Amino acid sequence: MDMNEIKEIFFQECEEQLAELESGLLKLNDGDRDPETVNAVFRAVHSIKGGAGAFGLEDLVAFAHVFETTLDCVRSNRLEPSQDVLKVMLKSADVLADLTNAARDGGFVDESRSRALVKELEALANGETPAPSVDAPKVVAKAPEPVQAAPPTDDSGFQPVPFSFDSFGDEEAEGEGEQVFDITFRPRRELFSKGNEAALLLRDLSRIGEMSINCDIDGLPALDAMDPEDSYFGWSISLKTKKAEEDVRSVFEFAEWDCELTVKAAEAAAPAADLPMVPVPFDLSALDEVSGPAASADVSAAQTESDASKMAAAAARVEKKETAAAAAAAAQTATTAAAAAGQTIRVDLDRVDRLINLVGELVINQAMLSQSVIENDNNGTSSINMGLEELQQLTREIQDSVMAIRAQPVKPVFQRMSRIVREVADMVGKSIRLVTEGENTEVDKTVIDKIAEPLTHMIRNAVDHGIETPEKREAAGKDPEGTIKLTAKHRSGRILIELVDDGAGINRERVKQKAIDNELIAPDANLSDEEIDNLIFAPGFSTADTISDISGRGVGMDVVKRSIQALGGRISISSRPGHGSTFTMSLPLTLAVLDGMVVTVAGQTLVVPLTAIVETLQPEATAIHSFGANQRLISIRDSFCPLVDVGRILNFRSVQANPVEGVALLVESEGGGQRALMVDAIQGQRQVVIKSLEANYTHVPGIAAATILGDGRVALILDVDAVVSASRGQSLKPEMSLAATG
Amino acid sequence: MKKKVLTVDDSRTIRNMLLVTLNNAGFETIQAEDGIEGLEILEGANPDVIVTDINMPRLDGFGFIEGVRRNEKYRAIPILVLTTESDAEKKNRARQAGATGWIVKPFDPVKLIDAIERVTA
Amino acid sequence: MATKKAASGSLKLSPVLDLTEASALHGTLMSMRGRNVTIDASEVERVGVQCVQVLIAGARAWQADKKSYVVDKSSDAFAKTMQLIGIDTDLLVAKEISK
Repeated sequence: MDMNEIKEIFFQECEEQLAELESGLLKLNDGDRDPETVNAVFRAVHSIKGGAGAFGLEDLVAFAHVFETTLDCVRSNRLEPSQDVLKVMLKSADVLADLTNAARDGGFVDESRSRALVKELEALANGETPAPSVDAPKVVAKAPEPVQAAPPTDDSGFQPVPFSFDSFGDEEAEGEGEQVFDITFRPRRELFSKGNEAALLLRDLSRIGEMSINCDIDGLPALDAMDPEDSYFGWSISLKTKKAEEDVRSVFEFAEWDCELTVKAAEAAAPAADLPMVPVPFDLSALDEVSGPAASADVSAAQTESDASKMAAAAARVEKKETAAAAAAAAQTATTAAAAAGQTIRVDLDRVDRLINLVGELVINQAMLSQSVIENDNNGTSSINMGLEELQQLTREIQDSVMAIRAQPVKPVFQRMSRIVREVADMVGKSIRLVTEGENTEVDKTVIDKIAEPLTHMIRNAVDHGIETPEKREAAGKDPEGTIKLTAKHRSGRILIELVDDGAGINRERVKQKAIDNELIAPDANLSDEEIDNLIFAPGFSTADTISDISGRGVGMDVVKRSIQALGGRISISSRPGHGSTFTMSLPLTLAVLDGMVVTVAGQTLVVPLTAIVETLQPEATAIHSFGANQRLISIRDSFCPLVDVGRILNFRSVQANPVEGVALLVESEGGGQRALMVDAIQGQRQVVIKSLEANYTHVPGIAAATILGDGRVALILDVDAVVSASRGQSLKPEMSLAATG
Repeated sequence: MKKKVLTVDDSRTIRNMLLVTLNNAGFETIQAEDGIEGLEILEGANPDVIVTDINMPRLDGFGFIEGVRRNEKYRAIPILVLTTESDAEKKNRARQAGATGWIVKPFDPVKLIDAIERVTA
Repeated sequence: MATKKAASGSLKLSPVLDLTEASALHGTLMSMRGRNVTIDASEVERVGVQCVQVLIAGARAWQADKKSYVVDKSSDAFAKTMQLIGIDTDLLVAKEISK
C-alpha cells in the first residue's frame, strides 16, 4: 500500500463520513436530541479533518476545523441545534463535500460561499475568535490540490524532515557547548500505573548525554510493609550534554505530572550565545549520532517494498475475523439490512463482477447439465437426479449470496437528493422539506448507480415545478413549506421507489393541450386522467420554451423514463390536482438474474419475467370477444382485458394466432393496467442469467435482454411494459409518431 | 523480536497510515476500529504498546484506556493517545484515564515511532 | 510468573518483570522467608523499577533474617538496567550468617 492508495481510502472514507454527517444533521433537524447523534456528526467532521491533515489538504482542514469547533459547542450543550443553526450546518456539510471533491479531483468550490459559512459558523460558536488557521486557507487556496501534485503532500506525510526527532538540527546550530545538568527525579505511583517506567525514562536520559546516577533507596520500607506497586525510589542525576534544558525536560514530557522533577544547569559552561559565529570543528561523534537514526530511517523507507508482503500478512491477520463476518453476512440474502455498523471489507468491484459472471456461467452450465442428464437418463437413476437437485439448490444459494454482495442500501443516493432539494429550493425561493423513508432498502449497486441521475432530474422537477411558491401555497390554504417524500421499499422481488410531492399536481388541461400542439395525440383523443398524466413521459412532449410554463412536470421526463426502462424498470405517475403528484418507479433488485417463464411464440423461445405475470389461463372460445379490425378482449371472471398476441406485436407472424390454441399470460404493467399476453405454449419456469443485448447487439424494441437456456439455446427476454404500451397503440419503434391513440 | 503495536482508530485512513508507518518501522501491527474491539483484541494479542484515537463510536478512547487499566493482565501496557495539538483538555482527560503519552495528529511518522520507542523497552 | 523450587530455595525470575509482576514477585519472596534463596535472573528481558524495589526489599529482609540471598545468574538486560538506574548489585545480596 502506498500513500496514493491510502489517499484513495481517505476519500472513500470522506464520502461515508459526509453521508453520516448529513444524515445526522437531518436527524437533528427532525428534533432528534440523542447525544450519540451529535457525537456521530462531530466524529464525521473530526475524522475528515484528521485525514485531511495527514495529506496536507489545508483548505479542507481549515474548514473542517471551524465546523468542528461549532459542532463541539453543540456537543457540549453550549449551542442549541435550532433550525437556523442546522440550516447553517447543512450548508456547511455541502461545502465540506465540495472541498473534499475539490481536494480529490480539483472540482469547483465556491469560495465566497465557504468564506461566508466560516463566518456564520464562527458567529455560532459564541463569537469566539477562530483558530488562526482559519485565515490561512484563503491564501493557500490559490494553490489547489491537483491529484497530480500528490507526491509532495505524500512525502510530507510519510517522510518528514529526516531528522526532526530530537530537534538535533536546532541544537547543532546553537553551538556545541556541553553543559552539565543536575536532575532530581522522584516518580509517583501514578507514573507507573499509567504505563510509564522510570527505568525507561532514565534510559532515554542516558541517551542524550553522559550520565552519572545515584539512586536513593532510603524510602524503601521493609519487605512485609511495602506495597509492591508503590514508588519508593528517587534519583539524582548529573547529565553532561550538548542539549538545552528543554530537551532534557522533554524526556519527561509524558511523565512530568506524575513525578517530582528538577532540572538545573550545574555549570554555566560556555553559554551557547557566546559561540554562534565561531566556526566549530567538525564533530564526528555528533555526526554519527545524527546519521545513525537517519540512515536507519532511510533503510526502512527503502524496505517499503519488501515490507509490503509482511504488511499484507499483518493486514490479513487483522481482517481474518472480518472476513468471517462478511462471509456470514453474505450467507443470508440481504434484503433490508439494518444500517448497523457491521464489520466490512472493501473489495474491488471488478472482482465481485467477475465472480457474478462466473456464477452466471455456473448457473447456465448447471442447467445444461441437468438438461442433458434428463435427456439421456431413461431409467431414471434417482441418485443422479438427487445430486443434480442438490447442485441446483447450491448453485441457487451461491448465486443469491453473490448477489447479496452487490446489494447496497439506497441511502447514499437518497442523501444526495436532500442536498439537491436544499439547493434548488434555495435557488427558486421555496421552502421544502424532504422526507425519506426506507433508505436502508438494498438493491444492486448498478441499479443504485444508475438511479441517481433520473432521480435527481425528478427531484429537481418536483422542487422547481411541482411545489408551488409559499405565497401560492398559503393562498391555497396549504402549509407554506412544501413536502417531498422519497420512499424505497421491496415489493415482490423488485424495489419500489416513490416520489410524492404535495404540490399543485399535473395541470391536465395544459398537458393535453401541449400534447395536441406537439401532435402527440389527436385533438379529439379521448384520454383518461391517467393517460393524460402519463403523456409527460412521451418523447417530444416537452420543449425548452415551455419548461417553466407548465405547472406540472414534463421537463425531460421521457429521458427519465428511458433511463428507468434501460434498467428493466417501470415508471408511472398519478396526480391529484391541487394535492400533488406521485411518481412510482419499480426496478429489478439485480440486473444479473431473473425468474422467468419460458414460453414458445411462433416457434421462438421467449422468457417472460415472472414478476410481471399475475396468472396464466387457457382461453376458451366463449371468453374471446373481437371488436374493430383486430382488437380482441378476453373476459376473465367479471372483467374484460385486452388480449395481445405477442407473436404479432413482435412481428414474428403476420396473422393473429388463434387464442384458443395458446395460453394467455395475465400481466400487470406499471401504471398500464392488465393485459392478457397470448403465447403459444409454456415450457416451464426457470431462473435465467440476463445477458444484455445492447452490449453485444443493439436495443430491440419489445425485448429487454437475452439469456442462454439449459439446452444451449439463446432465448429473448420479453419487455412486458414495452409490449403492453405497444398494444395500447403506441409503437414499439420509438421513431414512429405517437399520434395514434388506439 | 518484533514489537507488537495495537492501534485503535475508527478512521480507515488513519488505520492504514498507522499500518504502513509501523510496518515500515519494523513493528508488528494489529488493529481495532473502536474501543470495544480494542478491548476484545487485547486479550490474546498482548501488545507491547497501544496507540489509540479518542473520538470513536461505541467506546471512545477514554473508556478504552480505562478498560485497559482495569485489566489485571494488561494494565501495565503503555498507551499513546492520538490527539490534536490544540486540545490540552483532552490530553488531560486522557492522562487521567491512564494514558502514558500522546502523539499529535496529524502524526509525523518519526514522532510516532519516537514516542513508541520512548515508552517501550 | 515467578516460580520457585522448594527444595533448593531457588527463584527463577520471569522474562518480563513489569508492574504487574511486582505483586507476584513480592508474594513469592514472602513465602520463601527463612530459607536461603538463590535468584536466577538469566532469563530476564525487561525489569521495571517496582520489581527492583521488591528485590532490594527482599535482600534487606533476608539480611535481617540472617539468611543468604544471592542473584547468581543475571542476563545482560538485567545487569544493564541495574546499572542504568544506579543500583549497585551489592544491594541485591544478603550473606548468610551462621550462628
